[in-house]
Amino acid sequence: MTTKTDRPRVTHGIVRWVLGVPLALTLVACNTTSTSQPAGQPSAEQEQSVVEGTVHVCTSCHGFNGRSTSPTFPNLAGQQKDYIIAQLKAFRDHTRADPHAHTYMWGMAATLSNPTIDGIAQYFSSQAPAPGTPGDPALVAEGQTIFKNGIPDQKVPACQVCHGAIGQGNAIIPRLAGQHPGYIVDQLSNFASGARANDIMHRNAKNLTPEEIQQIAAYVGSL
Amino acid sequence: MTVQPKILNRGLAVAFCGVLALFLAAPQANALPSFARQTGQQCAACHNGFPELTPYGRLFKLNGYVFGGGQSNLPPLAAMIVEDYTHTQAGQSGGAKAHYGPNNNFSLNAASLFYGGRILGDYGLGAFAQVTYNDPSRNFHWDNTDVRWAHAMTIYGDETVFGVSLNNNPGISDVWNTTPAWRYPFQSSSLTSPPGATLMISTYGQQVLGASAYVFWNRLVYAEAGAYHTLPPDVISALGMTENGSDSFSGLAPYWRLAFQPQWGPNSLEVGTFGMEANIYPGRVHGFGTDDKTDLGFDVQYQYLTDAHSVSAQASWISEHQHLNSTFTRNNSSNLNDQLHSFNLKTTYSYEQTYYATLAYSRIQGSGDPGVYSSSSRLSSPNSDWWTIEGDYMPFNHGGPSFWPWLNMKLGLQYIWYTKFNGATNNYDNNGHNAADNNTLYAFAWFAF
Repeated sequence: MTTKTDRPRVTHGIVRWVLGVPLALTLVACNTTSTSQPAGQPSAEQEQSVVEGTVHVCTSCHGFNGRSTSPTFPNLAGQQKDYIIAQLKAFRDHTRADPHAHTYMWGMAATLSNPTIDGIAQYFSSQAPAPGTPGDPALVAEGQTIFKNGIPDQKVPACQVCHGAIGQGNAIIPRLAGQHPGYIVDQLSNFASGARANDIMHRNAKNLTPEEIQQIAAYVGSL
Repeated sequence: MTVQPKILNRGLAVAFCGVLALFLAAPQANALPSFARQTGQQCAACHNGFPELTPYGRLFKLNGYVFGGGQSNLPPLAAMIVEDYTHTQAGQSGGAKAHYGPNNNFSLNAASLFYGGRILGDYGLGAFAQVTYNDPSRNFHWDNTDVRWAHAMTIYGDETVFGVSLNNNPGISDVWNTTPAWRYPFQSSSLTSPPGATLMISTYGQQVLGASAYVFWNRLVYAEAGAYHTLPPDVISALGMTENGSDSFSGLAPYWRLAFQPQWGPNSLEVGTFGMEANIYPGRVHGFGTDDKTDLGFDVQYQYLTDAHSVSAQASWISEHQHLNSTFTRNNSSNLNDQLHSFNLKTTYSYEQTYYATLAYSRIQGSGDPGVYSSSSRLSSPNSDWWTIEGDYMPFNHGGPSFWPWLNMKLGLQYIWYTKFNGATNNYDNNGHNAADNNTLYAFAWFAF
């Protein structure tokens, strides 16, 4: 029986292709100007394509149709359009600077144009909102009291005055109904500490105890 | 064919390096830096520690490394440097490796250059490609490379991502940190002697080239199928890898992967299976048939990820069946059929994506075979058991210093405790070495920028 070291010639062909194809693609890459942001005004069709592509990326964290799985990321489905626009612009110009803004949203929003922001907001605001999830009944009941009546002794106004009787929001005031309680807790804490700059919400949240924040979050999450 | 294979292969290797050089130099109108710069996001968006992926990190990879957002105009390059220190319980006589002392060695473990990001973002084409210099082996070589195209579409109301990956390491295309290519340990010393037995699926990185096609349906079900073939020796050599003694495959070696990933709240679970089958000419020697090896793996990953407290756990069990036609015929094994099994379990707790504590257990178990193992094992056994404990500190996971926000750093301290090594606890090699002699204290500083 003879022994030989193989030099299978078929591999030369395979290697030629697998190395040649990326080479060709790279040459294309070097000589192609990206069309994701074409010079001048994009056509309506191009803009729609950019919005669809961007929404696909958004849903990686915010979930299909804007209904997120993880409480780290807020539900956007049914959110107020003006609120989404205002927040994306605040991420873009870094006026919203809470920790999650740094980690995720500054990058996401950095190159969005105003028309794209408008298209994203239109998409998510027109999705059916996520239904509320029942929380601990005791927490929900306490939260409902604060939501409806505020805590006058602590100079905490009733949430419903601005956010609506069923937490539906209004224009630049966000929808809270059905939001992840964990996300609400984070944001109220950010308002209270000043990590998320907002004078009105800072005044409203700074006197809330951690327990009261949990109660409000449980209630609006159940709506 | 009249072209000299050697010249052809060298030419192809040079062409590959040229491709990399073009990647590195590619002027882009639209900001293609490495991943963090491309997305404008912090490392923690995609990684629960490095390189473990978050759910978003998995989608970023499966969509072709093309998601954007960042404003940087720098090219899509990144670099990595790992400096380390290795102490083994007993010194290694003759030196841990050439140029190193028997014990307490400092080394430049690796210096790597990456291309990471889009190639043609609008067409879903992107790449993760790495070239590495290893000081312990004093060589510069191509490292893990994954060029992929992906496209997402909605089918009957459900998102479905289709993709193709061209890569050089079975399992490098995967997104759960359970396959050998990406599983723990994420960083280890090059100056210790690991247990002698290794699985086929983790043997051929950078010696093969393969392509696979995948589909990810509804962010829930993942299926991938592909095949690998060994590169010609001249190409392997020209790409900086060790050619001597390398094997070749007869025909294509299929690779498959199936995973189910339910997610709820901050929890993400994955349950899956993967495997590979290859008919191998050991040492590229023909005339004695092939060694036919089949690896079948089962894996589970669980992640609980929040801003403050995160827990992740990965487990994988791989069973390898070896039908050693060639090796047995040439009297290099005592059995025609051998089995080799590996089990790995690792769990990590992290606080604020900055501090990490990890505990891992690993086991290799298989058929005793004097022909295969007697040179390193008194009992001719591949069996080894070990525990690993590790603490890591990643101060820049939420953004680096203002002058270079994309700097990331991991300072780690790791201890490996062997309870069994190459078949025994005491005198495993008949030269008086005990399993505990290989216990390793390992410190490293990892920089990526």
